[in-house]
Amino acid sequence: MQKKWIDYLKKREWNSQMKKKVGIIACSGENLLGGTLSRAAARIVVEKLRPNNTIILCQPLFAAGGLERHGGQDERDFAKNHPTITIEGCKEECSKIAVERYSGPVAATIRVDEIMEAHFELNPESREDLGENGMKLAEIVAEEIAKKVDEYFRRE
Amino acid sequence: MTKKKVFIIPCSGIGKVFGSIGRETAYIVANELSREKAALECLPLIVKGKSEVIEALKENKVITIDGCPLKCSYNNLMEKVGKVDSQFMTTNVVKENRDLKPEPKIIPIGENTKKLSQKLAEQVAKEVDRLLEEEGVE
Repeated sequence: MQKKWIDYLKKREWNSQMKKKVGIIACSGENLLGGTLSRAAARIVVEKLRPNNTIILCQPLFAAGGLERHGGQDERDFAKNHPTITIEGCKEECSKIAVERYSGPVAATIRVDEIMEAHFELNPESREDLGENGMKLAEIVAEEIAKKVDEYFRRE
Repeated sequence: MTKKKVFIIPCSGIGKVFGSIGRETAYIVANELSREKAALECLPLIVKGKSEVIEALKENKVITIDGCPLKCSYNNLMEKVGKVDSQFMTTNVVKENRDLKPEPKIIPIGENTKKLSQKLAEQVAKEVDRLLEEEGVE
């Protein structure tokens, strides 16, 4: 009986923490620099800038992977019930399209190519290794995501 | 006629190091070990269903590299392209090399993670050669 009560309290606490989370979905495309930047920026946001208010959702898992084991359904349900911010590495907008197809409208979209154009002096080394400049650029992208997270909570 | 190649499609996992091993492996194969024979393509673009990409995958051999049992890369390829010619799991190379425990950090990846990726890349590169041989490509 006591264990049930503890489990209940734990679940309630977990639910209450999850309510405050924004889902971050990075394009993560392996074939382009914007994908690497989007991935790095997503990690910086969830690990350093807004660890208590954000969670990463895996884009391919979200879209189709592991559906026979309901692997992607959790991600889709989370995005239905929570705000999401997508990070797009190119103009294809794969993340935004996936979220809108399976869960609903996104709270915000960050376009990495636009940030790259605005900071052309920071030229990343390659898609495989961003290098020092690339990491600075990833920090800038991450700051933009964090601003959108803050804007969402201010509105709420 | 365009020369046949092998597409390497790693999963796009960014939550754990096993996804990073897959991505690093794919880069080593495409850039170093099987240069000119292998190519990469974005998994999210395949999931989205970009027609030119899907056609290119149908016309060539495809290897998937997954980082967890949900096998996003394999499952997405099967759904969108209808075939996968060979598949790898990064967790297997970790099991085969117990002395190389991958560091949990993802950006940048650690030294053991790099070594594991190199080992897996050597296995994948051999498979690239086998698949091209099957196709009759020298």
